[in-house]
Amino acid sequence: MSLSKCLEILTKYFPSFLLGIRTTLIVAILGTLIGLIIGLFIGGIRAVKLDKTASKSVYIIKKIIDIITKIYIEVFRGTPMMVQAVFIYYLVYTNIFKWDKMFAAIFIISINTGAYMAEIIRSGIQAVDPGQNEAARSLGMSSSQTMMNVILPQAIKNAFPAIGNELIVNIKDSSVLMIISITELMFQSNSIAGTTYRFTETYFVTAMIYLFLTSISSFILHLIEKRLNNTKTSFPQSDTNIHSIVIASKGE
Amino acid sequence: MALIEIKNVKKSFETNKVLSDISFEVNKGDVVCMIGPSGSGKSTMLRCINLLEDIDEGQIIVLGQDINKIKDINAYRKNVGMVFQQFNLFNNMNVLDNCVLAQVKVLKKDKNEAEQVAIQRLSEVGLKDFIYAFPNTLSGGQKQRVAIARALCMDPEILLFDEPTSALDPQMVGEVLNVIKNLADQDMTMVIVTHEMAFAKDVADKIVFMDDGIILEEGSPDQIFNNPKNERTRQFLSRII
Ligand SMILES: Nc1ncnc2c1ncn2[C@@H]1O[C@H](COP(=O)(O)OP(=O)(O)OP(=O)(O)O)[C@@H](O)[C@H]1O
Ligand SMILES: [Mg+2]
Repeated sequence: MSLSKCLEILTKYFPSFLLGIRTTLIVAILGTLIGLIIGLFIGGIRAVKLDKTASKSVYIIKKIIDIITKIYIEVFRGTPMMVQAVFIYYLVYTNIFKWDKMFAAIFIISINTGAYMAEIIRSGIQAVDPGQNEAARSLGMSSSQTMMNVILPQAIKNAFPAIGNELIVNIKDSSVLMIISITELMFQSNSIAGTTYRFTETYFVTAMIYLFLTSISSFILHLIEKRLNNTKTSFPQSDTNIHSIVIASKGE
Repeated sequence: MALIEIKNVKKSFETNKVLSDISFEVNKGDVVCMIGPSGSGKSTMLRCINLLEDIDEGQIIVLGQDINKIKDINAYRKNVGMVFQQFNLFNNMNVLDNCVLAQVKVLKKDKNEAEQVAIQRLSEVGLKDFIYAFPNTLSGGQKQRVAIARALCMDPEILLFDEPTSALDPQMVGEVLNVIKNLADQDMTMVIVTHEMAFAKDVADKIVFMDDGIILEEGSPDQIFNNPKNERTRQFLSRII
């Protein structure tokens, strides 16, 4: 393998690579965002523990939702995305409508990511200490007000590294979507390699581009994470205590 | 006038009978301290009053209504504030927002008005300078005072305290008890589960001694601390004081 040949391929086929990068990023970013929304819904519902005041019908509905969402999560995490892609693409294409490939790709990566996100969000929610939930409820806040204002913001913050990791995974794993011939980076590389017959050099360039994309993404995610953790605090000087009444405490 | 009437309340967790036939009353403006050994059901009783737990039998009448028949639980809860052992502040917001959130969401106040109330209440607990601090930068005593201010912002008729000082370092117990003592002086109706016997003696109008899911003895602090009738009460007090 020669590096100069790599450089030559990169410059000569730069527009093709660029199109691949563009498609890969669109699919990965949209897939992660839509997956996150799916995950917030499903993970949010799965994390809800019904309290004692819930009626029997609510309880049964919740049980059914739990079973359905569990099946969704297990199926999409337990099968390869490449298989999901061909299966869903052709299922819809032959039976429902002739859908756009790009649309199909985003659809597939989104529901695949959603299954992972649901578990990430669920465990993020469950990691928020339940005392805060009780405190909010004791102030008269409804369970949805509590979820939106107190629990979810903390769950998302705690789960941010795992959520960000899904983006990195999607940048890499969107490569399997070449199976439905969208112009993402892997698909573009295949056609470049097919024209140049320089397989080693072409795929070396491809690998470097993927590495570049994931490194940049990690860096940006890291910055965002740092900002999230850097909650602004004031530095108060005095603790103006109310007039003291001396009360002996136990064991003194 | 009784603000809270507990009538023959029974409650089990599965087979574990936690409350067996509890009855007592809390009058308007009174401070009732609940004492008793660990596992006797004090927290459970308190949580039932705030509908964090439901009861199996009996009645809890608060402000004239049977709370287990109430449809709008959230409307009921805004009248009954609760302060927890672990403070339970909202860690994703500063002290001011901790006190503002429920006023805006539940009482539907506008933000400015809610902030005025919050600052007023925070001043009363000595934390005016800390309104922009986040909970993780506060000491335990400060956190608990925020939690009390947060409950007060809802203008509740009743405040419930579940061991408000048990998670605190000894040197911070006093500042929190002072705040509660001030509320007692302002005739706030309160039910306080505590192990601080000196405090209970000082602040309570009535002491309720619970043991193993029943009330063994209740009466004035003088009666309970100086002339306990029951042998178990005597043993408990001699161990703890
Ligand atoms: N959510 C729950 N599920 C099952 N059992 C519970 C639950 N909450 C409390 N219990 C049980 O009920 C009994 C009474 O508990 P409770 O917390 O009311 O006691 P306590 O008097 O507050 O004790 P402490 O002084 O230790 O706080 C204990 O045996 C406890 O294990
Ligand atoms: Mg307790």
